[in-house]
Parts: sequence; structure tokens; C-alpha cells
Amino acid sequence: MSNGVYLQLLATTTGVLLLSAVLQVWGRSTVRAIGLLVLQGTALAGLVLTVGVHAGEAAAPLVAGLVLVVKALVMPWAMLRSARVIGVTRERSARVKPAIELIGAAALTLLAYAVSGPILGDRTDPATQAVPVGVSLVLLGFWQLLVRGSAITELIGFLMLDNGIATISFLTSGGLSLVVELGATLDVLLVVLILGVLAVRLHAEQGHIDISELRELHD
Amino acid sequence: MTIGAVTVIVIHLVLAVLLSPVLIGVMRTTRARLEGRVGGGIRQPWRDLRKLLAKQPTRAPGSTPVLTLAPILLMASSLVLCALIPFVSTVALTSVPGDLFVVVGVLLLGTVALALLGLESGTAFGGMGSSRHMVIAALVEPTVLLSIYALSVPAGTSALAAIVRARLADPASLLNPASLLAIFALVVVVIAETGRLPVDNPSTHLELTMIHEAMILESGGRDLGWLELGSWLRLTALLGLVANLALPWGIAQDAAPLGLLVGVAAITGKLLLLGAALAAVEVFIAKLRLFRVPELLAGSFVLAFLSVSASYLVF
Amino acid sequence: MAIVIWIPLILPLVLGVVSGLRQRSAWTLWLPVASAAVLLGAGVVLILDVSDRGPITTADGLLRVDSLSAWMLAVVGVVAVVALWGGVPHRTDRSRNIGRFAGLLCLFLAAMSLAVAADNIGLMWVAIELTTITTAFLVGSRGGRGALEAAWKYVILGSAGVAIAFLGIVLIFAASRTGGAPSLSWVVLLAHAGSLDPTLTRAGAALAVLGFATKAGLAPMHSWLPDAHSQAPATVSGLMSGVLLSVAFYAILRIQAVADAAIGPALMRELLLAAGLLSLAVTAGLAITQKDFKRLLAYSSIEHMGLLALGAAAGGPLAIAAVLLHILGHGLVKSSMFVLSGRILGFTGSHDIADVRNLLRRRPDLGGPFLLGAAALLGFPPFVTFFTEVAIIVAGFQRGLGWQMMVACILLVVVFAGIARHVLAMTVGTDPDPEVARTLPAPPDKPARFRQVPIGIALGLCAVVGFAAWPLAGPLVAAVAALGGGR
Repeated sequence: MSNGVYLQLLATTTGVLLLSAVLQVWGRSTVRAIGLLVLQGTALAGLVLTVGVHAGEAAAPLVAGLVLVVKALVMPWAMLRSARVIGVTRERSARVKPAIELIGAAALTLLAYAVSGPILGDRTDPATQAVPVGVSLVLLGFWQLLVRGSAITELIGFLMLDNGIATISFLTSGGLSLVVELGATLDVLLVVLILGVLAVRLHAEQGHIDISELRELHD
Repeated sequence: MTIGAVTVIVIHLVLAVLLSPVLIGVMRTTRARLEGRVGGGIRQPWRDLRKLLAKQPTRAPGSTPVLTLAPILLMASSLVLCALIPFVSTVALTSVPGDLFVVVGVLLLGTVALALLGLESGTAFGGMGSSRHMVIAALVEPTVLLSIYALSVPAGTSALAAIVRARLADPASLLNPASLLAIFALVVVVIAETGRLPVDNPSTHLELTMIHEAMILESGGRDLGWLELGSWLRLTALLGLVANLALPWGIAQDAAPLGLLVGVAAITGKLLLLGAALAAVEVFIAKLRLFRVPELLAGSFVLAFLSVSASYLVF
Repeated sequence: MAIVIWIPLILPLVLGVVSGLRQRSAWTLWLPVASAAVLLGAGVVLILDVSDRGPITTADGLLRVDSLSAWMLAVVGVVAVVALWGGVPHRTDRSRNIGRFAGLLCLFLAAMSLAVAADNIGLMWVAIELTTITTAFLVGSRGGRGALEAAWKYVILGSAGVAIAFLGIVLIFAASRTGGAPSLSWVVLLAHAGSLDPTLTRAGAALAVLGFATKAGLAPMHSWLPDAHSQAPATVSGLMSGVLLSVAFYAILRIQAVADAAIGPALMRELLLAAGLLSLAVTAGLAITQKDFKRLLAYSSIEHMGLLALGAAAGGPLAIAAVLLHILGHGLVKSSMFVLSGRILGFTGSHDIADVRNLLRRRPDLGGPFLLGAAALLGFPPFVTFFTEVAIIVAGFQRGLGWQMMVACILLVVVFAGIARHVLAMTVGTDPDPEVARTLPAPPDKPARFRQVPIGIALGLCAVVGFAAWPLAGPLVAAVAALGGGR
């Protein structure tokens, strides 16, 4: 792969990742957010393939395929299924106003760019330069987890967080060893499935999936 | 060089005036076909325009010259916009820079002219439309500035022609994070600025929802014709700007005839496709409640802001 | 001997599948106990073997058991035996899907063994995340709003926290790449600690410790813990408190060893001190106002995790040895306490401290052990927790953490007052209803003796180990040495 194409693909995939993350924070529709998750997963798979092929790793198509299947197909499908069973397509309640949420998202993205610089030091290879995108995804995922009121959106935030970590992992070091990568993917998949089941059971139990209404347990 | 630049500007103006009714016609027809109607045909806006321009305007007794001046001002500002934005070629006059800040200023001039017209018409609808229009304008202008500014950072200049040239020279910059965010923000604000769905429905006359139509409700005849053409030109100019920033291929780098010809064909194709796509999307979305519009625009502002910071920090 | 490493990984898995298949059979409930016994046996064998012949590596370097891993495996085994054996429900109150319950418990134990036997810290992460997955349904298995809420919070907070740990591990891997030896193997990382990129290691280690601290229930990331422990069935609470938290803390110890070698002990010491003192403060603030005795025990777990963090922050052979012994002592006592609390719940039908009075008279078979266990938790001699707590505090003073240890002592006194007040009210407090007080003591649960055995063993072990620690001294010293001498 020529250097120009490599740079272009790197820029494109990370660009799509960041855009989809910001759009997820922006939007209120659960179904659309799940759609964006598909986009994000596809971009992540593209990133894995780009970095892997550039580094000349033989296992790159395999890992990319795995990421594509798990993150862009299976997880969104499972979440969509939970959302359909529950019948919630739009978020009803949020803990903060949309404007504050967006400003927070902007501030977090800036923070991601600000902290990534010192951590990465003076390394100048283009993949490392794109690491702030991964950090933004992590922070925006956390932001979603914090401010959103619905179980499904919390789940989406968790997946964004996970995608961000995967992005950082592939950008800084071309991914961990295959065993760890497989195990981690499987773990996250299982967590998503479990949370999907729990969300459905929460809905069956109390008729809504409002996390801020969960006040049974407190001190 | 000056001669070339003047030629390009003339081509821009002629092309914009000829193309904008066709663009509107394509958009309306697309929409009509998707909704299962036959529609007025692609040339219908042309016929409307010819009919309107031939008619005497009626103005309320006691109205001020604003009613006469505003359509002309809108028309003039739109024409300047079309002249400044690089449609066909990146050759630009050195004395009149197609600068980002100039373009936004001219854009605002037209907005203010329209708002004044709405206020002057003396009916409740006009004032309502004007106030809504200004609210949206106040939210839109900073985003337009910011998003194009983000694109200007890598180019190192705020002249639109130079930005387009730089993006054409470096295709890798087209899809990087900063650029994607900026283009997305720009699309949202262009939709808001030109009064398309989901911010304003261009084909409604429902008093609670209309914005653009409320302002020009009292105008008629020649005045209405100029107002319509001015708005269409604005739409053409802004869509052309988005098209050439997002996909700069095909634009000429000089004033050579062949290049210009290719440029004309390219921008025509891009505009019509973009217009058709916009109209197709509009079929599937509903108008936002007015109170939700600031949320939408705040979102696009955040995107533009992020894109500026991203373009400074990385890439 | 590499085969011994595989036994605690494979056998619980097989038993888990078996009990998953034979859902209706009551005997499946004994399979988790068998798995735990296997873990204990394998742990003891490995301790002996490792002390003779050094660390055992297998599976291409992914698995490696040194004396610390062997110690942890044995501790996990013995604590799990107590919690599972004591928690086997009576024939009459068994639900229908016991097989699935037992299967998940077996899988949980397999994941725990993997976590302590993994040399690759990435694999260790995978195993710890697996424990979240296996316990998710166990926490929510009682059903109802509270249990579901607890399960949701547990899974979301647990997996988000552990995800942060993964981010830290990713950064540590990047740091090792800069050093020229890209690896996640703990041994390799420790050997090449000098060549790790310091900034990346700093960020990575801090994030990893932060993430695993969430799982270990250290404040301020502790909020899932009281909810999950109060809603889960007693056995599961005991296992989580005695095993899960300890294994998460073990992960912190491993990360700390690498970080200390690469960037010096300052960063880890500050992080752990802050977390430890905050955990003690949280318990001190909330224990006294608790109304639910299972939550009270959960807060006590936070307190003990805080103590462990203080010990790890102090460092040095004394403190680390005390920490490892404290993990054993706390695990034994806490799992028996949770088992007892489950039976108290069965007796009174209520979580409320206010509904449990005069237990020592009404149910001596529950009240006696409960009082003794609480004494052990509060660090009374002769229980081993007394010695380890003193050792941790002394080690802290020795290492120049004077004022922090002073604060810790004050907080411990507050915690003591808070917990003692509630426990005394439960066991010897006067019954609000005099009618009930006059009646004879209620008969013990059936089969009484058999179910008292593990609790008796646990409390007895805890009382004896403090004095007769000579069999444990060798493994402990070896485990401390495996951690790099405890610097």
C-alpha cells in the first residue's frame, strides 16, 4: 500500500469514527444511534485493515473481519432487537439539557486532543497522530454513560467507549495479540448481550427503561 | 489574469441565473415524483419567474421605499455571492477577494434585506417571519464562518478559491476528521439558511410554521419575482459552495476555455445531483418544532467548533 | 507439572457444562463446591511445587504460575469452598433452575483461576471481565426491581471500569513497543521495565489501576458494590466479596509491580493511598447509618479493600505479606458472614437491621458465629485480621506514611464504632417485642451441623492462622518475592 493511500484511508476512517461519535451524542433517536454504531464498527474495521496491511501483518484481514462481524453486525443487531422488544425508539429523558450535553461533548473532544499530545510525546507517525480520535470516542462514550437516561443509550455509550479503546489500541500498536483481541471482543459481545437481556427484563419489570428512575437502592 | 477572472465571474453570473430555476425545478420535480405527483415540470420555475417579472407590483399605501429596495438588495447580494463563490474556476479577482468573511457579510446583507421587507409589509405574519428568520440567521452565521474557517486552516488562507484549490491539490484532506465535521456542519447550516426542511418548509403557507414564505407573503408581481430569484440564487450559491468544498473535482484551475467548459459541466452536474438528493431526503423528514431548531443549529455549531480545533491540533 | 495449571481451568468448566445440562438435578448444587475444592487442591499442589522448582510456564507463555499466583489460587479455593458449601440451600427452598445457577458459579471459578494463572496481563483482563459476565445473572437471579437494578448498575459500572483498565493495558503495550520488546507478558514487562516509555507507562498504569479498582470496590468507584452485594443471593455475595474483589486487587498488585519498576513507586503509592483513605472514609461515613445488614457487610468489604490499598501503597515485604494474608483472612470471614446473613434473612425474612434483634438468644446457631465473625472483621485478636491490620499500619509508619496512617487509624475507629453498634444491636440488642423474647430459642436450620461446618472451619482457621502461621510463612515470603520483593 502506498503511503498516500495509507494516509488517506487512515484519515477517512478516523474521520468517520469521530463524526459518528459526535452525531451519536447529538441525536436522540435510538434507532439512528444504532445505525451510527454500524457505521462506527465499519470504520473501525476499515482502520484495523488499513493499519494491519500497512504493517504487513498476515492476520489483519482476519481481525478486521472479526471486528466487522462483531461490532458492525452482531452487536447492533442484538441492540436493535432489544430496542424492538422494548419498543423504545426515542430517548425520553435526559439528565442534562441537549445544549449542555453538546457543549460538554465539545469540551471533552478538546480535552482528548489536549491530553493525547503530551502522552504520546514527540512521536510523529501518522497513526499516532490520529490517537486523539480514539480518546475522544472514549470520553464521549463516558459522557453518554453519564448524562443519558435510557438503558439502551447507556449501552450505546458503552459500545462507543469500547470502540474508542479499540481505536487507540490499533493506532498505537497495531492491536494486541490475537488471543487477547479475541477474548476481549468476546467479552464485550457477551456484556452487550447480557445488558440487552437485562434491559428487556427491566422493561418487563417496571414498564420503562429510565435509568434515572432506578432509585430502589440507595443509602 | 484580470481578463480571465472577469470572464470567470461573468460565466458564474450567467450560469447561476440560468441554472438556479432549473435547480429549483429539479428539486420540486424530484419531490413531486417521490410523493407520487406529476409536478409542474422542470421548467415551471422559469415560467413562474417570467410571469412574475412581467407584472406590476402592488404595494400597500403608506409603505416606505424599503418594499422597493429590499428585493433589489437581495437580488444584488445574491448575485455578488454567485460572483465570489468559485463555481467553475478557482481563478479570482485579486482586487475583490472571494474571502470567507466577505461572503458571510454579503450573505447577511441579503438576510437583513429580507427581514426588513417582512417587517415593512405591516402584517403580523411578516413580522413573525422576520423575527424567526433573524433567530435562525443569528445561529447560522457563526457556524458558516467557523466551518469554512476550519477548512481554511490547512489551506492557510481565507479566500474561498484558494481553499478549493488547496483541497483539490490534497485529496487526502477531503475526508480527514476536521474536514468531515466541517462539511457536515456546513450542510446543516446551508439547509437552515436556505429555508429547507427540517428547519423551514419552502412549500407551506401554514401560519404557524412558515418562515421564509411569511416574509414575502405581501409581495407581488415584479417584487416577488426578484425575491424568488434572489432566494434561488442564494440556494444555488451555497449549494455550489458545499459541492465544491466537499467534492472539488472538475473545477478549472485557470481561465482556459476547455477547462471552463469542463467546470461548467461539473458544477451543473454536482448541483443538480445535490439538489435532487436534498429533495429526496426532504420527502422522508418532518419539520422540526421551532423550539428544537436552535438545538439542531447548536449541534452544528459544536461540530464546526470541533472541526476548527481538530484542524489546529492534528492534521 | 504444567498439567496442574490446566486442572483448575478445565475441570470447573466441565462441571459447569454438566450442571448446565442437568438443570433439574439437585446434586448439581454440589458441583461448584467440588470446583472450589479442585481450585484449593491445585493451589496447594502448585504452592509446594513452585517452592521446589520455581515458576511453571505453559501455553506458549500465556499462563504462568509463580508463588503469588499459587497463593491466590489456594486462597480463592478455600474462600470459595466456605462460601459455596455454607451456601448450599436446604432441599426445601431450592428453586427450579439450580443447574444454571450452579453452572454459572463453576464458570465464575474457572474465570477466577484463569485470572490468577494468566501471565499475559491482557488475558488476565479478559478473565476478570469474564467474571463480570458470569456474575451478572447471579446478581440479578432473585428477580424483582431491586435485583435487576443492582445487576444493571453492576454490569454497567463493572464493565465500563474494566474497559478503562483495558485502555491502560493498551497503553502499557504501546509503552513496551517503544521500548523495543512489544509484549503484555508480565514477566517480560518486569524484565524490560527500564526500557518502557515512561509517559505511556505512567498513563497506562494509572488507568489500569483505576479500572481494576472499580472492580475491587475501592472508593470512589465503589457505588455498585453495596447494591450488588445486598441484592445478590448470599453465596454470590460471599464469593464476590471474598474472591472477586481480592482477584481484582491481585491485578492491581501485578500492575503496581510493573509500574514501580518502570517509573518508580511514587505514582502508584499516591493513587492507592488516595483510594484507600477514601474507601475508609466512605465506610466510616456510611456504616453508622446503614439500615440493611447485607449492605453493612458490603461497606465492610470496601473498608477492607481500602486497608489492602493502604498496605500496597506502603509496600515492602512486611506490608505485602500482610496484604496477602489479609486477603485470606478477610475472604474467609466475609464469605462466612455473607452465608450467615443469608440464613438470617431466611429466618427473619427481612434485610433490615431493625428487624433482627437478640439473635444470640433466639438463634444461637446464627448469632454466635455472626458475633465472632463481626469481631474478626473489626480486627479483634486472636483473629488473623488483627495481626495483618497492625502489620499494615506499622509498615505504613515505617515507610514514612505517618499522617496517612494516623488518618487511617482514626477512620478505622469510626468504622469500628459504626459496625459494632449495628452488630451488637442485632445479636444482643433487646427485642422490641417482649412476647417473642420470652419464647424458647428457635430450632436451627436443617441440616444444622453440616452447614455449620464450613463456617466453623473458616472462623477457626482465621483465629488460628495468626498464631500458627509457620506453614504459611514459606509461601507468603515466596509470594512477596515473586512480586519483586515488595520494594
